Amino acid sequence: MELNHRVTDGVNVLELSGRFDAYEVPTVVKWFDAHPDIVNVIVNLSGVGFIDSSGLSTLVKGLKRCRQNGGDLHLCGLQQPVLIIFELTRLDKAFSIFADEAAARAAFKPVEG
Amino acid sequence: MRIALVSTYPPGKGSLNEYAFHFVSHLRRKPEVSEVLILADDLPDGLSYPADDAAPGLAPLRIRPSWRFGEWNNATRIQQAVKDVQPDVVLLNLQFATFADRRVQGALGLLSPWLVKSTGPVTVVLLHNIMETVDLGKAGFGGNALIEGITRVAGNVFTRMLLQADMVAVTIPKYVDILTSKYGAEHVVLAPHGAFEELPEPAYALPDGPLQIMTFGKFGTYKKVEALIEAFERLQQSQKQPLELVIAGTDSPNTPGYLANVQQRYAQVENVRYTGYVEEIDVPRIFQEAAVVVFPYNSTTGSSGVLHQAGSYGKAVVLPDLGDFAELIRDEGYTGEFFEPDDPVSMAASIARFIDDPDYRRRVGEHNFVVASGLPISEVVDWYLLHFERLLNQRRSAALTVSQEAN
Repeated sequence: MELNHRVTDGVNVLELSGRFDAYEVPTVVKWFDAHPDIVNVIVNLSGVGFIDSSGLSTLVKGLKRCRQNGGDLHLCGLQQPVLIIFELTRLDKAFSIFADEAAARAAFKPVEG
Repeated sequence: MRIALVSTYPPGKGSLNEYAFHFVSHLRRKPEVSEVLILADDLPDGLSYPADDAAPGLAPLRIRPSWRFGEWNNATRIQQAVKDVQPDVVLLNLQFATFADRRVQGALGLLSPWLVKSTGPVTVVLLHNIMETVDLGKAGFGGNALIEGITRVAGNVFTRMLLQADMVAVTIPKYVDILTSKYGAEHVVLAPHGAFEELPEPAYALPDGPLQIMTFGKFGTYKKVEALIEAFERLQQSQKQPLELVIAGTDSPNTPGYLANVQQRYAQVENVRYTGYVEEIDVPRIFQEAAVVVFPYNSTTGSSGVLHQAGSYGKAVVLPDLGDFAELIRDEGYTGEFFEPDDPVSMAASIARFIDDPDYRRRVGEHNFVVASGLPISEVVDWYLLHFERLLNQRRSAALTVSQEAN
């Protein structure tokens, strides 16, 4: 799996591609571990065709981290097989999911001050 | 968040007690949890639950005996206990035979989620099996075809009662499909079972002495050891190296005396060791010493905690070729050797493939360790907390809307 990180309009964007499973999660876990103070993140899953419970769990941990820091983790670009897994686990109700990055970015509350 | 868990719990020996133990130990470490209350079953004379625990760094834990296996009034007792402790969330850790081994008492206990919800807290059921996939005879609810038919119809009714909870979690995707399509339920979620321990890379070396073939669980209903002992007898005849069969665990509460009968019936088979109840502290050793872990099941009632434990210890596993079980292996990524259920010849052949090829045995063990490590129960607990928070927020939003409309 490949992970590309960039900052667009002040928001961290993680672009993932490939299988997001038990063998691949360490890449993403490492990124979150290296950014303990992360607040707002968009995870773009448009290049991910398969996700398992380990992948989901990594996103749950990322979401918790962002919310503990007063922010949120938005998902975008979910392919149908990935969306089905989110629906099966009802995690689609726990995450904010958007069609594309622009919508995911627009949904972040503006930072005050 | 104050969370009550309705469940069996150690030192109680009812099914799902180990799951509850591990779930609670991780729940208490989560910062969003302020207190954990266990509404457990009454213990036999001479046993008692640990005292209230307020260890630093952990959410306080209180255990209150609130129901008794086999009794008629468990649902109302649990409802009263929930009223007394007033938690924010109640999680019921259930299977169909949690409350009794008799149909009526067992079914009445399954009214608990509905009664609990009526008292106010967010109510979530973790359902380890569903009526549609339980072989009633093998689960201890057998009888003639008419009685089984009536039991199944009643099971449908009581499944609808369970579905009155705010959320029902199951551990196999197929269960979500069945509950969604058959009952029209839209609040059923798939939640992984999770591995009990977060262990370091296991030592794959085995102790000196005979190669141990181990099975672990509560036996007598759908976990039966007769075919395994017969398979072991065959292996002892065909294998050159010394072997030992370790039957680790006790009778299922539904089949008291089962293992004693088996032991008597197969007394002539040498090198079989019956451990009796395995204390929590001895579980790692039992798994670590085993070369192969066998699952002598002839039906399935859900995901297997033992499979996750075996994976955690990097063990090669020998599994029945049952629909749900095979599906679980595929879904969760475990691998092993399969046998025809209740067939000693097939089982012996599957075990022999691991005995004959230590490299293959180790590769399968390493693979299972990676899979088991993939999702420890501590992370599964996070999924539940996320859902609890979501349901509590829904409640608050609904209450706010009602309040605004009233004004």
